[in-house]
Amino acid sequence: MRRTPYLQHSLLLIGVVLTLVPFYFVISNAVRSNNEIFRSPFGFPQALTNMVSFTTLSLTGRASEISYVVRISVDDEIVFETRRDGYKAAMRAQWKIMTNGYIYAWEVLRGYMLNSLLVSLTSAVGVLLLGSISAYVFARYRFPGSNILFYVIISVMMIPGILTLVPSVQLVTALDLRNSYTVLILPYIATGQVFAIFVLRSFFRGLSEDLFDAARIDGAGHFHLYRHVVLPLSLPSLSVIAVMNILATWNGFMWPFIVNSDQKYHVIASGLFNMTTGPIADNYSAMFSAYVLASIPLLLLFVYATRPFIQGLSTGAFKA
Amino acid sequence: MLIDRFVDGKAHNYTRQSLSQITKPRSARIVSRGRTPSPNHPMQTYPTLRSSLSLYLLVLPTLFLLAIFSFVPVMMAFYNSFYEYEVGGERTWVGFQNYIDYLTADPTAMVSFVNMALLTLMAIVIRLTIPLVVAKLIHTLPNERHRYLYRLAFLIPTVVPVVAVQLIWGSLILGETGLINTLLENLGYEDLAHGWLSDPNTALIALACIGFPWITGFEVLIYYAGLSNIPESVHEAAQLDSATGIKKFLLIDVPLVLSQIKLIFMLVLINGIQGFELIFILTQGGPGFETYVPGLWMYENAFSFQKMGYASSIGVILFVVIFMLTLLNMKYFKSAEDMQGQ
Repeated sequence: MRRTPYLQHSLLLIGVVLTLVPFYFVISNAVRSNNEIFRSPFGFPQALTNMVSFTTLSLTGRASEISYVVRISVDDEIVFETRRDGYKAAMRAQWKIMTNGYIYAWEVLRGYMLNSLLVSLTSAVGVLLLGSISAYVFARYRFPGSNILFYVIISVMMIPGILTLVPSVQLVTALDLRNSYTVLILPYIATGQVFAIFVLRSFFRGLSEDLFDAARIDGAGHFHLYRHVVLPLSLPSLSVIAVMNILATWNGFMWPFIVNSDQKYHVIASGLFNMTTGPIADNYSAMFSAYVLASIPLLLLFVYATRPFIQGLSTGAFKA
Repeated sequence: MLIDRFVDGKAHNYTRQSLSQITKPRSARIVSRGRTPSPNHPMQTYPTLRSSLSLYLLVLPTLFLLAIFSFVPVMMAFYNSFYEYEVGGERTWVGFQNYIDYLTADPTAMVSFVNMALLTLMAIVIRLTIPLVVAKLIHTLPNERHRYLYRLAFLIPTVVPVVAVQLIWGSLILGETGLINTLLENLGYEDLAHGWLSDPNTALIALACIGFPWITGFEVLIYYAGLSNIPESVHEAAQLDSATGIKKFLLIDVPLVLSQIKLIFMLVLINGIQGFELIFILTQGGPGFETYVPGLWMYENAFSFQKMGYASSIGVILFVVIFMLTLLNMKYFKSAEDMQGQ
């Protein structure tokens, strides 16, 4: 019987707490009013405390004693004051305080979120499609120049983004592509597919030849082999590539920030940065709500994809 | 085995050589399967251009996109770096003058290269150690469920957009009323509290500290993969030699996860040299030029001053730096792996 490794657990727990502390304050501040945040950015949400005490009162049969004064102040000057009596009305007032930031943030963020979703999903699909087709061709067929072409494609991994940033912007300006979805999606597919080709080609090569022979005996053509033999077998690799691409696109900041001047085409990353210089910047509650809202799509992705992702990476699906 | 060659409908593609390979004993063909395509493959025998036209068509979209968004920009970068011109203005050939100007006469060059080096060095030291130690701590836990939960916990922050994390650090933690200053005030060190990113003396170190405790879930997973691949027999052998604890970690684990260390090292190095997003978002190079890095100066030249040629030359210089370091690194790490006898 091994003893419980208390030392490891305590060190790891300290690590977890330190890692997550900033995000706790973001989530908590998102449901606090601006006045509360202004007084102290690190308190517990007053509205939640109120809700707990109202519920306690109502459960102990003292609901009639509940009354709550709604004060809205601007620059420490109360501009609006009203009374909410009774459990339901008081609770509604608390709920309103908690969701206030989210409502403001959603107004601004909605467009950015939809753009990010569109750009991330489309470019992930594009990367998977182009990447897997090219990887399949380079893995299973040889034709004049196939090796040279493959190394030309792989050499793109040696090109740092800093070298191509300025000329790429000039190029898309010359092609009149700025302020469009095309300019957001195509570059991500172009650069994202290279890593996919690199990983998938070696994976496709490792597939047993007997599988292909068996399928050919059944009369499978090239497309059939790709669609019904290769793709199903490489689903774990494909999903890790998809998740990594979505992550990269979702976090991409510089490119969308530079090539778009129209608010309509900004994505989450550039949109959040624009919010800090926009009129919403002083609305701390809304800013923190925006951070929370911006994290929800990836959170949903991770709920579904974490297990294969962790297992895929932990077993060394990608080695150097 | 022979039959499917002909039901495949591509039988006309086979030369005498491939037919002789098909009739070879099976064992011989298995041996030849390795990094090269297996020899019993239909397209193995260099078909004519006409029959491979469809293959070219299939990789065409890939090549087309790369041409527009990689190859042409690379050529433009080199080409433009020899010209002096502004957007919409006239081009003047200046030879290497842009490079010479930047490396000898630009007042930001020295400070920004020093900043870049310091930030990169710090990032490398941090990210080659802390996630590895955390991965090791997780890996030694006896309970599979605990190991999974810790990996998951460190992965959670990945869902927050990077820009949001940077903005959160800038305001909530390092800001005037941020967490650090609040803690200092509560502990009675009010005089130490200040705007960490706006003070020239602390701006750079504050930038380097962003992300504390630097346990990136992604890197933990990669190191964890490396640790999982170490055969149990290696640890048993180490046990027999009575190697324990830190000594065992340094002498057994670290050399055996060298390929993961190499991967992270390269990623951090390249990102350290070319990355300027964090600085752009939090300090814009300020206060003064305290936190400038070459990438940010390139951005400013291109998109604020419209000096495209000059900006391109900075991009080329950074590319050369990255390229040289990559080559050095490949050479150095290869020898390290040779030493392991791999």
